[in-house]
Amino acid sequence: MVADTAQSSAARSSTASSDAAARRRRRETGTAYALLAPSLFGITTFLVLPILVVVWLSLNRWDLISPVKFAGLDNFRQVLSDGQFARSLLITAVFVVLVIPLQTGLGLFAATLLTRGLPGSSVLRVLYVLPWICAPLVLGVVWRWILSPTDGALNALIGRRIEWLADPALALPSVAAVTIWTQVGYVTLFFVAGLTSIPTHLLEAARIDGANAWQTFWRIKLPLLRPTTFFVLVTGVISSFQVFDSIYALTPQGGPQGVTDVVAGRIYYQAFQSRQIGQAAVMALLLFVLLVVITVVQQRWFSRRTTYDLST
Amino acid sequence: MSASLRRRVADLAAYLLLLVGAVVTVAPFLLSLMTALKSPQQFASQTPLSPPAPVTLSNFTELFGGRYDFVSPVVVTAQVVAVVLVGQLAFSVLAAYAFARLRFPGREVLFWVYLATLMVPAVVTIIPLYAMFTAAGLRNTFWALVLPQVFGSPYAIFLLREYFRGIPEDLVSAARLDGCNTLQVLWHVVVPVSRPILATLTIITVVSHWNNFLWPLVITSGPKWQTLTLATANLQSQYNGNWTLVMAATTVAIVPLLLLFLVFQRHVVRSITITGFK
Amino acid sequence: MRSRLAAVAATTLLALGAAACSPSSSGGGDAAQQSSGGKTTVTVRIWDDQVAKAYEQSFAAFTKANPDITVKLNLVPFADYFTKLPLDVSSGTVDDIFWTNTTPFGALADSGALIDVGSALGDEKSGWVPAAVEQYTRNGKLWGVPALTDGRIAVFYNKDLVTKAGVDPAKLRWDPSEGASDTLLPAAKKLTKDSAGRTGDQSGFDGSKVTQYGYNAGNDLQAIYWNFVGSNGGQMQAPDGSFVFADTKGQQAFQYITDLINKHHVAPSAADTNDNGDFSRDKFLQGKMALFQSGTYNLKNVADGAKFGWAVAPLPEGPAGRVSVVNSVIAAGNAKTPRKDATLKVLKWLGSTEGASFVGSSGAALPAVTDAQQAYYDFWKKQGVDTSAFGEAGGTKTIQPPFGPKFGDGANAYAPTFKEIFAGRTPVGPGLQKAQDDANEAIK
Repeated sequence: MVADTAQSSAARSSTASSDAAARRRRRETGTAYALLAPSLFGITTFLVLPILVVVWLSLNRWDLISPVKFAGLDNFRQVLSDGQFARSLLITAVFVVLVIPLQTGLGLFAATLLTRGLPGSSVLRVLYVLPWICAPLVLGVVWRWILSPTDGALNALIGRRIEWLADPALALPSVAAVTIWTQVGYVTLFFVAGLTSIPTHLLEAARIDGANAWQTFWRIKLPLLRPTTFFVLVTGVISSFQVFDSIYALTPQGGPQGVTDVVAGRIYYQAFQSRQIGQAAVMALLLFVLLVVITVVQQRWFSRRTTYDLST
Repeated sequence: MSASLRRRVADLAAYLLLLVGAVVTVAPFLLSLMTALKSPQQFASQTPLSPPAPVTLSNFTELFGGRYDFVSPVVVTAQVVAVVLVGQLAFSVLAAYAFARLRFPGREVLFWVYLATLMVPAVVTIIPLYAMFTAAGLRNTFWALVLPQVFGSPYAIFLLREYFRGIPEDLVSAARLDGCNTLQVLWHVVVPVSRPILATLTIITVVSHWNNFLWPLVITSGPKWQTLTLATANLQSQYNGNWTLVMAATTVAIVPLLLLFLVFQRHVVRSITITGFK
Repeated sequence: MRSRLAAVAATTLLALGAAACSPSSSGGGDAAQQSSGGKTTVTVRIWDDQVAKAYEQSFAAFTKANPDITVKLNLVPFADYFTKLPLDVSSGTVDDIFWTNTTPFGALADSGALIDVGSALGDEKSGWVPAAVEQYTRNGKLWGVPALTDGRIAVFYNKDLVTKAGVDPAKLRWDPSEGASDTLLPAAKKLTKDSAGRTGDQSGFDGSKVTQYGYNAGNDLQAIYWNFVGSNGGQMQAPDGSFVFADTKGQQAFQYITDLINKHHVAPSAADTNDNGDFSRDKFLQGKMALFQSGTYNLKNVADGAKFGWAVAPLPEGPAGRVSVVNSVIAAGNAKTPRKDATLKVLKWLGSTEGASFVGSSGAALPAVTDAQQAYYDFWKKQGVDTSAFGEAGGTKTIQPPFGPKFGDGANAYAPTFKEIFAGRTPVGPGLQKAQDDANEAIK
């Protein structure tokens, strides 16, 4: 906050005008806080305060009906020892592993096809984003019908009875497939933007050097797409760790044998169905810490790996 | 010659693949629309893939007339979206301007706090917010649906701040010399030149609040403040096997956004890539 | 500075003002909204679609007699009903009057959430079905107005399909040994068809391509397993409320039911029915199921939806006879309602012969007000439906319905394992043991 305007350097010339400058600064501060007041209130009340409340809840036993009882670290002990939360974390991790590489790969592939300069590409690009604009819950309901074993469209199409969402071996892959279907178009958009921003002289130079399309892709395009790739990965991982709506619609209650009991769902059911608010608060806190760690790690990785100097 | 032939074959293959992708993308929408236009009798007696014959709007009339009363969820959702949109844009503009153009003690720290709250996921705040709103006696009210969002979003503030910093100082100081106060500067100078980013934020806000589910799920109860996503989920759970009716509901929930999207698609596509909004 | 602050405050107010205007514009009343212009609105929460129609008429009549009170219905899906109810009770957003079954009843009564109807409307008590009064009396007090009683569980059957297969639905017997005395399994096999038209007892029958189901064995407390355990001479709960279904009698009953699904394929797979309680009813209504075991709560649905000849037979007989669960539902009053007088008036109306008669005379459900029941039987007689199987003609033995202050928690705890047992992925013996242990742990 170094004063850098003409007025402030002039202000130094006399004490009278320095008083004026001080007054102006005070006024500016007042204005700034007045402008910030609503958002400051909102953020404090609805984003910062809840973190404190969730910490407090995690130390108490509460079923919403009986009075709140202090429980010390009991909730932490319970959550960490009974294995259900660990299992949910594992399921979520598997979900992330199923979704992220496939959707990133498919998105990149679609983007390379879309940037060949074929007519109609922009229409297709828009088409691919359609699922992503819709509510995940509503799409979940649509897919629940499509995948339902007896009246569903998919089984009618393939002429076989497969219990996509009720078979413990298939439920998680099915849910992941629906998620990928929803998000591929979105990922594609970023890769299209990334690919079109690659300077043509680089590609031209590679062509003159005799590189074929395959080599150009691996040696030039992919490295230059790194910022895009990382962005897509970071946001993808973070949001997949919080997946709730679509799974709530597709496989309620954690699905068959609880194989789709992802973390967000576990927190929801623990809080609002089992009414074990304290334990749910512990889970929420642990998830929060985990996400912060993931974000920070990815950020580090991201900033270390993504600077390219194209000027040379 | 052979190179151009190869190129043409490759183009053809690319087209084929892209078309397959398009079919896979669009088919679920068409299938659900098809089912929504079928009579329950036809759905029960024929394969789910058969086209509606005859096409009937009875599922929709049933949905909007009678007891399901899908009118109310549409109205509630629209109201929530409108109020949140106005509040979020207005308050985010104010805050972003302060961060971008004013100097005051605590600016860096505060901005850092705002940014840090971006990392707080909704599933984490849902339980404490539930407890807070319940304690305040605000569960199942309109306030509960809008309050957590209406005071501005750190994300919007972040984007706007970046944008405001790029506005030439001359524009602002000229207005100041004309005697404008801060709000007048905002309204007459900053807002008009920020139309593109405001349009982007409008789309982001409308889409994400139209689609919001978890918060309405826990904080409302009963038909009065039921949003469209919630109404769809409830309908599905009450009339489980009644897929023609349920698909009519999903159609109603999807179509407005699709129309919005198709009308503004150029802008939306650009917005997504600029902001990476989720 | 001051003026600037004021301007900011003004914009804030403007935005808030916009928010404040919008909710009122949508109108309507809920638990939070009341008495506008001297009128009080009492809200009533139920889960049954059919009864909702009857209640609407009943409340219209009520408002005619009490012009200062209007009654608004809040229909909540059964699937979410008992998840939402405790949340709404605790946050004060529950309706003035709400139905409940035994699942959360004990906990609600003990927490002081319910109006002591026994004292408030003591004079009316004698008019109510005694079994219902007994089921919802806790610590010597009655905590609601009996709204419905389900009568006995019975079997709806598709006349055509049954006649063609030569099955007499009135003479169905089952036995865990599946021996010669067992007629239910052979009948169900004859009534099941695969896509090639083979019945369940023919060679080459493909159990994975069933197009017509014989029977609706499935993960259904009230219609199926409570009765099977009872008819085998077993119990689901001990007198102290703890769960005891993993004993031999229970195991035999569950083994028999799950074999119908997974071994003989005469009932829809658990993948279809575990998360969709209405799957079997829908199949029956589509003519794709021959025997559909259910209760009075589905009579109206069947009558409205079936486009074929159908009738009702008694519950199949087990080794211990025809033992049915007979459940009732109460309309409970919210103890914290700010409209207690109006709420009690509506409750009294629901418990009166006149108020309950709408439910009976529309055939929607069997009211738990004794004098209003005749209207129900009359309605169905006029429709040409013999409903005697839901009454004593369908047997007299009963099994204790679900009870206990934490029954809901117990049921939540055993539910996941039950789903697995019905899906055939967990063997019945160890599965029931685990389910029982989990449930008993949850109600401790």
